Amino acid sequence: MDDLERLYKTHYAAVVRFLYRKIWDADRAEDLAQEVFIRAMAHRPEKPRAWIFAVAANLARDEARAAIRRKKHLTLLKDDPIPLSTPEPSAEDSVERDERWARVTGALAALTERDRDVLLLWDAGLSYPEIAAQTGLAVGAVGTTLARARKRLIEAHDRMDYEARTAHS
Amino acid sequence: MTEWITRPERHIPEDELHAYLDQALSRSQCAEIETHLSACKLCQGRRATVAALRDRTTALLSGLAPRPVIVPPAYELLRDRQSRRLAIAVWRARLQRAGLWAAGVVAAVGAGWAARSALDPHRIAVAMPALAEAPTAPSTPVLAPVQPDPTAELERQATPAPIPQRRAPLLASRQATNRNPEALVPAPSLQLVSMVTPVRAAPATQTMLAPSVPSNDPFNRIWRVVQWEEALQIAGSGIPFIEGIPVVGVLLQPGGAGERPMVIVAQQDQNGEVIQSIEGPVAKVNELLQRQATPDMHSSDAARTPPDYSETPGGGVRRTLRILTVTGRLPIDSLNALARLATIR
Repeated sequence: MDDLERLYKTHYAAVVRFLYRKIWDADRAEDLAQEVFIRAMAHRPEKPRAWIFAVAANLARDEARAAIRRKKHLTLLKDDPIPLSTPEPSAEDSVERDERWARVTGALAALTERDRDVLLLWDAGLSYPEIAAQTGLAVGAVGTTLARARKRLIEAHDRMDYEARTAHS
Repeated sequence: MTEWITRPERHIPEDELHAYLDQALSRSQCAEIETHLSACKLCQGRRATVAALRDRTTALLSGLAPRPVIVPPAYELLRDRQSRRLAIAVWRARLQRAGLWAAGVVAAVGAGWAARSALDPHRIAVAMPALAEAPTAPSTPVLAPVQPDPTAELERQATPAPIPQRRAPLLASRQATNRNPEALVPAPSLQLVSMVTPVRAAPATQTMLAPSVPSNDPFNRIWRVVQWEEALQIAGSGIPFIEGIPVVGVLLQPGGAGERPMVIVAQQDQNGEVIQSIEGPVAKVNELLQRQATPDMHSSDAARTPPDYSETPGGGVRRTLRILTVTGRLPIDSLNALARLATIR
């Protein structure tokens, strides 16, 4: 088992999660994660862990742009709003899970792009120097950015949670 | 970094507590922080707050997984996909190279063919036998089936017809119209269509004499049916032809001292009509047109071609004017238009 295969087995799930939190499409996230490792096989990077997350971030960015283009295209094709999948009538716990998911994604979306990137890279398991290398920050600034991102994430989540509870009561 | 250690009133900054909990600090930095934490209640509280914040963040983000368990597909599958992709890339590169090579070959062949066609109209007839041998109306004598004895046919064809007396020389007629003293008005009808047969009917080189012509006749020279290359070789230059129409035959009659040969180039258009471009000394062309004149044959206005220069017995230089005319069973306007397309090779 070579280093890349070992990295694949240990970091595949982290890469999928990292991608999913950027594009919010589970299947596409898995596809892109495999694409990342296939590219790594061809390039054989010196620092594979940082490399795969850098490529994953680029792919996620491209995917987001493509999604925007697709959405614009669909909007042009059809004047009516794109019908969203209506949630099936579900049990109370399912509704609660969806609301929780919506609060977390909303809180994450409330962060600045840099804070969000640093937070997701940290959650994916990258070290401070690796995060610094990918984001262009100084290593010493990663801790500051991460502290701010965590605090704002929790604050945004708690605010949304409070608003939701107020609306229900 | 260590300023807060030497100054007891200072406390551990929050970002360093994050880095400490994230294990992003060096061993010595961790030791310093732990030393301070052991003695500072405030920083202990801050540490607990940061740890809770960190844990909550981790918990919130863990809920943003696509599925509870993410199982990576077999590494071998990815390796196979990468191998296939590599193979496809290699083949694509090969195809691109092959495509470029093929395009180059096609371009070279096309350019060569175009250049050869432009330089050698005789090849057009060879390249388009169906066109050159296209069936025509039965009334067209030129398109009759191949004669069993080409030598006899060519000999018959090379024999000029009797000269009708009603036609004045072309040069005189031209001078009478006062349009161009050097140009000539051709005879209205000609018999030239039977002079030349398609190349397929003739051997590569034929040599013949016109037995019915008296020995003092200027046409008592050898008329030769030749291939295009040979005509170029013999005449050097001065082979008239019309661009874009297949050449079906070339007749040459050697000239006198200092004279270029007289040339008749027969070309067959898409309708089966044979058009003949005649180039030679004015007197010979004029006489030939009169000999071959028939009611349905017409000729274009004559155009000057480079004259011949020859030495006279007295040591002077004599200039012999030469003309080019196009004949065929077409209206004169059409022949004039074709004559404007004619070039001298």
